[in-house]
Amino acid sequence: MTLPSFVSRHQFIIYRLFSLSGLIPVGAFLVVHLLTNASVLGGAASFQSRVDMIHSLGPLLVPVEFALIFLPMLFHAAVGFAIIAGGLPNVGSYPYMGNVRYTLQRATGMIAFAFILWHIIQLHWMGTPLGGGRFDPHHATSSAATVVAPLGISLLYAIGVLSAVFHLSNGLWTIGITWGLWTSPAAMQRANVVSIAVGVVLAAAGLGAIGGLRATDVAAARQIETRMDDFKRMMEGQAPGAAAGGDGAPASTVTSPAADAIDLRPPSEPSPLVVPAPSPSLPGN
Amino acid sequence: MIMKTNDHDHGGQTAARTIPVRVLRQDAPGQESYWERHDVPWEPNMNVISVLQKVAAIARSQDGRPVAPVAWDCNCLEEVCGSCTMLINGRTRMACSALVDRVLEEHPDGIELRPMSKFPVVRDLVVDRRRLFHSLERVKAWVPVDDSFDHGPGPRISPEEQEEAYPLSECMSCGCCLEACPQFTRIETPRREGETDEQLAARRTAAYDQGFIGAHAISQAVLFNKHPTGRMMADERMTALTAPGGIQMCGNAQNCVAVCPKHIPLTRSIARAGRSATLWALKKLFDR
Repeated sequence: MTLPSFVSRHQFIIYRLFSLSGLIPVGAFLVVHLLTNASVLGGAASFQSRVDMIHSLGPLLVPVEFALIFLPMLFHAAVGFAIIAGGLPNVGSYPYMGNVRYTLQRATGMIAFAFILWHIIQLHWMGTPLGGGRFDPHHATSSAATVVAPLGISLLYAIGVLSAVFHLSNGLWTIGITWGLWTSPAAMQRANVVSIAVGVVLAAAGLGAIGGLRATDVAAARQIETRMDDFKRMMEGQAPGAAAGGDGAPASTVTSPAADAIDLRPPSEPSPLVVPAPSPSLPGN
Repeated sequence: MIMKTNDHDHGGQTAARTIPVRVLRQDAPGQESYWERHDVPWEPNMNVISVLQKVAAIARSQDGRPVAPVAWDCNCLEEVCGSCTMLINGRTRMACSALVDRVLEEHPDGIELRPMSKFPVVRDLVVDRRRLFHSLERVKAWVPVDDSFDHGPGPRISPEEQEEAYPLSECMSCGCCLEACPQFTRIETPRREGETDEQLAARRTAAYDQGFIGAHAISQAVLFNKHPTGRMMADERMTALTAPGGIQMCGNAQNCVAVCPKHIPLTRSIARAGRSATLWALKKLFDR
């Protein structure tokens, strides 16, 4: 049995899985990703604590990334490109709103795919051999802010984010038709309003994150991250700054060999997320 | 350029006006197409069919060359039979209901006529729409009542069901929904060297079977799956709807419903068929 015959015989189920994968897990991931990023508007510590939460998966993170993000996304993209190749956009002859959206759905899909590839290479550790991998999960805000600091990069990010958001929110509307959730024109119209609202919220979150990173004071963010990193190490019983991000910046405010000797009380401000309480001693360690 | 006016108005008389008409012609299947211009005298209450009749009567192109009359399909002339579909100024519609004065309001430059682009051209504006009817065969768009026995009266259909079914039954197989659909692309199977009629027909059918069935067939499947007697073949229709080239090929551009001359709620039919297909797939998955 050849691959083309397998694909053609199972076209229905493949297209339905394609449709589903756009929502779960790929679309769901985009929502989590954009909302996580938007937390940078609450300060470097707010973003860092969310990144820490994700990285608390430890060795599970990579399999989770592949199973729930990369592979579904590649499947969605592969089927999507095949669908695009089989269509014949005709928005010039039939400039109706639905047709414009059909065309934009394909355009934004391709833009988002190219953007995501570039984005992963630039920030994810997998891109390190290609000169990327610039995101440091121990210094989430400062490393990301450094990357988007040039205006051109920020604009590329804005285009990529808006493409992905349009693709998801318009896809939300079409998924409902494909699976038969909304069938009447009135129901489609109501679903359209909801899809647009979702799109607006996600676009605001995505652009907000870019704006938030651009407004970040990198040095101050780095200090906060370093303190948080030290605190985490201390909680794990390691020496602060022992393995801090090795990109040459001051790794820690406490780097002296005497670090082991200092008392195990946390810094007066354990995390800027936590309201600085009047410095309670940690019970034991 | 607006419609040409010959000389001046003489004392309030209506001047003889001519309508510039451009026709994309093709002499036979597989041949090169070419544009031909005609000047057609304007008359009140013309439609595009009467323009074509004038073109045939004049039998000369704009530059005075004698030309063969343009070939086209038409029958009922009241937007019911579905045979005169063509591209009028780039948009798919019925030539009979395309009133010349209205067309010129939108396009004062004149009238441009092209054959449908999604079907193989037979000659000039005549296309081979066999695939459209083959799609109806694929989804068994009929009620199975043909046999020798008297089965008595059929089940009653409530007025509510009738009201839902009637708009779908208005489909006249004109193919406008297919012409405007970005997911429905042309399938043409020119005869190969030494191929017999039977071989060609088999190859054509196989090619059509892989192609998108289109909005009209999906809507007819919905219509006959709602019908109390037609429903007896519901499973066969669902099998066809979820086969390769089935409903999953729809890309939700919704051009079909926008161009349908009968205003059939095609996207509602597609969404309903999508819902049935979802349930059908679950049934196939868990009930077998």
